Amino acid sequence: MKNFFVYSIRFCVIPGLLLFLSVLTVFSNQEGVTARYKDASQKLDINGQVETIIPVPKQIVKATMDYQGGPFFIEARKSEIKRFKCSSCHNNKTVSIQNAAAISHADIKMVHGDTAAPLACNTCHSQEDRDSLVTSKGSKIDLDHVYDMCGQCHFRQKKDWIGGAHGKRVTYWAGQRVVKNCTSCHNPHSPRFDKRWPATYSVPFK
Amino acid sequence: MDSDKTKKINRRAFLKGAASTAIVGTAAVTTGCKGKGLLGSSEVFALEFQEYFKKHYCLMTPAERQETVSRLEKLARIKQDITIEIDTTGPGQDVLYGYAFNVTRCEGYMECVKACVKENNLDRRSNTQYIRIFEMEHGQMSPDQGDGKYFHMVPREGHFYMGVQCFQCENPPCVKACPTKATWKEPDGIVVVDYDWCIGCRYCMAACPYWGRRFNWNQPEIPKQEIATQQHYLGNRQRVRGMMEKCTFCIQRSRKGKLTACVEACPTGARVFGNLLDPDSEIRFVLENKKVYRLKEDLGTDPKFWYFID
Repeated sequence: MKNFFVYSIRFCVIPGLLLFLSVLTVFSNQEGVTARYKDASQKLDINGQVETIIPVPKQIVKATMDYQGGPFFIEARKSEIKRFKCSSCHNNKTVSIQNAAAISHADIKMVHGDTAAPLACNTCHSQEDRDSLVTSKGSKIDLDHVYDMCGQCHFRQKKDWIGGAHGKRVTYWAGQRVVKNCTSCHNPHSPRFDKRWPATYSVPFK
Repeated sequence: MDSDKTKKINRRAFLKGAASTAIVGTAAVTTGCKGKGLLGSSEVFALEFQEYFKKHYCLMTPAERQETVSRLEKLARIKQDITIEIDTTGPGQDVLYGYAFNVTRCEGYMECVKACVKENNLDRRSNTQYIRIFEMEHGQMSPDQGDGKYFHMVPREGHFYMGVQCFQCENPPCVKACPTKATWKEPDGIVVVDYDWCIGCRYCMAACPYWGRRFNWNQPEIPKQEIATQQHYLGNRQRVRGMMEKCTFCIQRSRKGKLTACVEACPTGARVFGNLLDPDSEIRFVLENKKVYRLKEDLGTDPKFWYFID
């Protein structure tokens, strides 16, 4: 008889209680603003409310994939590189540029990847075609679509970036989605943000 | 009945017009007696007098809103010699603003605070700031254990940063506390203040569990060249001493489809802003795919500001 009680408590009452509590927890949060946004599944029609064709300060290109709301745009990279095209120097001709030594890439410090074995130049840059990047599987990537390169290792960040939890939009929350590229914020050669002084300070409350 | 009503309104409008004409006339006479140099200020006097008797923002007709806006713009031109544009854009259809803050990504650079001060014409003398960034040790949960007045190289090892501002609660206690209905929640979820209706009792400040409201203890001082000229009546227009103000999700920007100043300034992308009612928006992606929490959720204030971790 005692065994039966123990059995029933262990296998019926406790799981039942847990089930009840979990259902309670799931539904207890479904009110107020949470319920309001969960009920809203209609795509926003922003036409006429704000301008849908939006001016952005930089050149943009269309991304190779879609986000949950369709195609989106990214900040271009090639127009930001001062001495693009790379092949204007990196070709098989003799170097005929003034200050060639000074503008070589000796200033680039590689702080990316494992500290014991950091990434090399040709981990990302193609040796055959100097104007593009190359993945570990050997496919060429345009410098504007550098997220495909970074996403090989940082696939979680790439997934978040496509959805909108990583990175940021440019200037507008409404209208055509334009987001920053990986290289808009991160220096690809040392992607971690530097330690620095804060831009301002707060006065004590009390 | 109808004709009676129109008659009444006509009579009222007539009296109002007569009163203001009389005042302007009196002002002109007084300044005339004082001398020629003060003649310009009679216009200021008339404008300020009319400003003094204007209605609550919610009760104004679009025409009346336009009148007060043009008066304020004129006053700024005469008194401060600046050209400002005050806008009264209303809330959008099917828009409910939401905000998310990534506590893993924030590095405590405080660029958001700097941008906010500039955008919202905050008082430089008392160093008013809508946003506070708390430096917290790993494992701490609430910002009241954190350090809100750090000034050293950031990020510091073993710490994370948590930004706090007005959370634009869906059930705002500050609105219930206001005795003059000077603060209310707009249909797009932003809690705003009619600065001219606020009596400065600070009940809302006491009611807010998040320290989200700021009081102007002194006449706000802003260098003339730093005044943001694109303003909104309920947002960043210039305030005077003795009234409450607060973060409005940069109403002058967000209602035109722009991101708030803090989101745009954030160098790490820790801040996400968007429309909660749009299933494709970034904020909805965060809410559906990330571990999110809200501050003091047990109080039932229902803030539209979520924290999330990577």
